[in-house]
Amino acid sequence: MQEAGEGSSAVDVKDLRREYVTRSFLKKTTKVTAALDGISLRVARGELFGLIGPNGAGKTTTIKILTTLLSPTSGSAKILDLDINKDMYEIRRRIGIVFGGERGLYNRVTAVENLKYFADLYGVPPSEITGRVKKMIEMVGLEGRENERVEKYSRGMKQRLHIAKALIHDPELVFLDEPTIGLDPGGARDIRNMVRGMKKDGKSIFLTTHNMFEADELCDRVAVISRGKIVALDTPAGLKKSAKDISVIELQTYGADANFVQRIEKIGGVTRVVADLDSERQSIRVQTEFPTEVLPTIVGLAGDVNIIDKSIREPTLEDAYLRLVEE
Amino acid sequence: MVSRVQAVRAAARMTMKIFFADPQWIIPAIIAPFIFTLVALLLFRNETGPLLLYAVLGGGLMGMWGTTVYGSGTSITFDRFNGTMEATLAAPVPLMWIIGGRVAWNTFIGVINGGIILVIGTLWFRTGISIANPLAFTFATVVTYVSLSSFGLMLATVYVLTRQGGFIMNSLEVPVYIATGTMFPVALLPLATQPVAFILGPTWGIEAIRKAAIAGYTGLATSYWTDIGILAIETAAYFAISFYLFGRVERLAKRNGTLEEY
Repeated sequence: MQEAGEGSSAVDVKDLRREYVTRSFLKKTTKVTAALDGISLRVARGELFGLIGPNGAGKTTTIKILTTLLSPTSGSAKILDLDINKDMYEIRRRIGIVFGGERGLYNRVTAVENLKYFADLYGVPPSEITGRVKKMIEMVGLEGRENERVEKYSRGMKQRLHIAKALIHDPELVFLDEPTIGLDPGGARDIRNMVRGMKKDGKSIFLTTHNMFEADELCDRVAVISRGKIVALDTPAGLKKSAKDISVIELQTYGADANFVQRIEKIGGVTRVVADLDSERQSIRVQTEFPTEVLPTIVGLAGDVNIIDKSIREPTLEDAYLRLVEE
Repeated sequence: MVSRVQAVRAAARMTMKIFFADPQWIIPAIIAPFIFTLVALLLFRNETGPLLLYAVLGGGLMGMWGTTVYGSGTSITFDRFNGTMEATLAAPVPLMWIIGGRVAWNTFIGVINGGIILVIGTLWFRTGISIANPLAFTFATVVTYVSLSSFGLMLATVYVLTRQGGFIMNSLEVPVYIATGTMFPVALLPLATQPVAFILGPTWGIEAIRKAAIAGYTGLATSYWTDIGILAIETAAYFAISFYLFGRVERLAKRNGTLEEY
């Protein structure tokens, strides 16, 4: 695993565990589920750090603990060299949080009213609030719409307002919890540009995402979390390199079904098959160490399946990620 | 830590904006007081003078209390429903001060509510109500407002702990009307219930308000200033208990990680 450099850190987590205890009243049983199973990581100041993993892997639990919304069961975590248990309010004052999706905004009031409210809660001096709000509205491109109720905003506009809200008090560290989830490609690109802008301004960023392209494009380093454990931590290039021994065969087909996918999985040398069979034209990705041998075998098995396009390419971050989380 | 006064003011202002942004504000602010007044005046319709004023003031306090109970509940459940609970919890100020600002606004609406009842009682039913000592009446109303806010804050902790707080609060609304003597003198209640009345701020609030408003009123065997003094002590106790409970439930909610669930 690649470590952050020495010196003052934005995030420093050591052996963090979080268990959820579920008690059944009638059966008098207790079930303990480990959402985080001893994770350790360090994020340097000014670094853009990504945490990727499947649903239920522990991303949200991690971000909740680091933003002081949830207590860990054991282990330690420091944010900007402050202890999450002892310095909760000081940490909150110096971080910004962007929640994904529709959460976190007052829809019945305007963007300006939302920003003024959060500016007050985060202790921006009253004499500076109007100026800060104006600056944030301009930064996220909501000029002209800032006095409309948030309930009239599109998903993309709400997400831009989330970013403005998180930055209203000029935090040193920003947590972004799946900031582009549910956005169209243009909206997602705008948000990614804003994230780049934050990094350029010297802010440390902790990003969780499902989008491998986003992690690859934005992050200095990426940690892969699976079943509550960090299974890899490296630069995007380093993670891709770890999957260098595999190649990916990409197929575009008509008429492929689950049966065809099963037949591909049984071919010797095939390590993983990812298929999207829901649309009229199907997309199948086959991971293998022996692409030149496997591809003709697949073509031979096709039968009634019409293979309209086929190619062999290098592994992407997504291929490396899938390999890591499924191991 | 962020200025608590700034946080209280911001929370009260935001609650006000959301209140007026929703046309349903007419229900607690206009329709409910009208119904309370109607009930009070129908109960005492054959009375004139002080007893009628007694009833109208009781109706006013019922309105204030009803809005306090409703407001203390909505101050938390609104965030859960709206998806803003995490954003509220993540603020660098203890939850008590944010909820305090919201409760302060909701209780203020209760005071307006009580005022509307007085106006309706005076104008609509032509009861010809006059206040004996307007200054003392205003002071008692302000102290009662602060007391109800502290009581509402204390009740709000129940909603932090449980998503089913509404059931508890609904069951509290009517017994408190009765126990605090808003409509009937506390002395008429069974002896066993009287200690309950004495630990509830609204009991002393309505006593002080009535003593200031009704010339020659003899309720409990206490003076106006004794009522105000007891109300002030109980209000301080409610704030102290709220402070303690908020600290406890915030830690508990953080440990369980269920506060934002609706």
